[in-house]
Amino acid sequence: MTISNAIYKRGKTAGVFPSLSSRRDEAYMSFIEDARNLLLHAQQKPIGEYSKLLLKNAGKSMKPDPRSTEEAKELLMKDNVLKTYYRIKRTLQESFWECTLNSFNMRKNDLLQALDDAEKVGPGSVTYDPDFSIPEYATAEIHIQPGGNVNEPLSGLLYDYGAKVFMGGAADNDMFADMQASTVGTPQNGKVNRILDLGCSAGVTSSALKRIYPDAEVWGIDVSSHMIRYAHARALEKNYDINFKQMLAEELDFDNNHFDIVVANLLFHEVPVSVSKKILSETLRVLRPGGSFTLIDFPGDKRGDVYSMFFGAMDAVDNCEPFLPGFVRSNVEELMEKGGFKMDKYDPDKFILAGRIGFKPIN
Amino acid sequence: MTDKKPNDLENLKDLPGFKRSNPIYFENEVIDHLISITLELGAELWVVKDRLAHLEEALTKNNKISLTDLQTGKPSELLQEKLDEERKQIIKRVYGRLYSKYGGDLAEDKGAI
Repeated sequence: MTISNAIYKRGKTAGVFPSLSSRRDEAYMSFIEDARNLLLHAQQKPIGEYSKLLLKNAGKSMKPDPRSTEEAKELLMKDNVLKTYYRIKRTLQESFWECTLNSFNMRKNDLLQALDDAEKVGPGSVTYDPDFSIPEYATAEIHIQPGGNVNEPLSGLLYDYGAKVFMGGAADNDMFADMQASTVGTPQNGKVNRILDLGCSAGVTSSALKRIYPDAEVWGIDVSSHMIRYAHARALEKNYDINFKQMLAEELDFDNNHFDIVVANLLFHEVPVSVSKKILSETLRVLRPGGSFTLIDFPGDKRGDVYSMFFGAMDAVDNCEPFLPGFVRSNVEELMEKGGFKMDKYDPDKFILAGRIGFKPIN
Repeated sequence: MTDKKPNDLENLKDLPGFKRSNPIYFENEVIDHLISITLELGAELWVVKDRLAHLEEALTKNNKISLTDLQTGKPSELLQEKLDEERKQIIKRVYGRLYSKYGGDLAEDKGAI
């Protein structure tokens, strides 16, 4: 059995995702994905306006601070329509993980064998340590994904397919990753020989960067061996030469001034702020002078209103995003600047389509 | 001398959202369960409709279909397009009314971005 056959036995879904094990599961997940689009994504604007009206009519402060957020939560979660919205959101999230896990578990041995086989094949490589010490913060069951990123051997496949459903089609054919990668900062003098993707998970951003810089040496690092094992197999399908290694972003095993580009796509809201500061310090160390760091993540609180803070606070608890509130309050642009980066202009309205870009000063 | 652990790395398991919880949104949790049940039934009904359409297409075209094809095969692209549209309409018609108070039943389909 080839690697490709085991993972993509029924072809690929939306160009890049491993197909589920049966037509039944595909039909079920299509329903969940459409329900998410119609009952959650399509509602974001109108339900936001409705919520803000409720807050205004109740004379509540719209200031984006933690106390106002708690007051907003108390008021808004008395409303039956909002209770329904959050019930649906949580139930659909539970449903898609359960179906995906059950579907991949039907051929778990084949899939794990395929990941084992992929390890022996290039281009690219995957390196991990079975005795790697996983920090406690990384064991959170983020996004309520079964086993989180580190405790489920199929976590890479689960995360990848989960992202497809979660993004409601926007991630199909890696479209979204390509859009994000196209906004990554170009280093001063334009030379790109080495690229590092921090917290690479399924390696989708690493691959998108490889498409832009095919001649560059690309590295993806992640705390989870399960994630990078899948990332390597996924990159191998495209014949991409990418090196994946199990490593903490706050303890990089690379020389000083080694990379031209470093990227962290949706990593920072998954780690405590004290870890974020260490990652920034390590990133600056491994970047060469003039090299660029692009941090793609949610905008900070100072831009938001109390409703967006309430929305994030609900997600933090009900979707297991325990470090999200700390991140959005941390003013990461300021942390980057204080940490020594020379900052480029940042547009928070681009949300997660573009990041904060900082350069390592040349002098 | 050992470094002091940063405050945000202490008692992580007590942090809201660190561990998976089982949130209940309504005072009467039966309502939570009923909403979950209707969603699950909707998804399972769609599974049956999808399978029936797949079966009908195969029987109409070839007069036969194997169980393997039914379980792991795919319908034609044309049928898939029709099914995709029908599924969206069903979800909108059946569940959209839950948001009619603010006009959300009229909201158009969109992805996350």
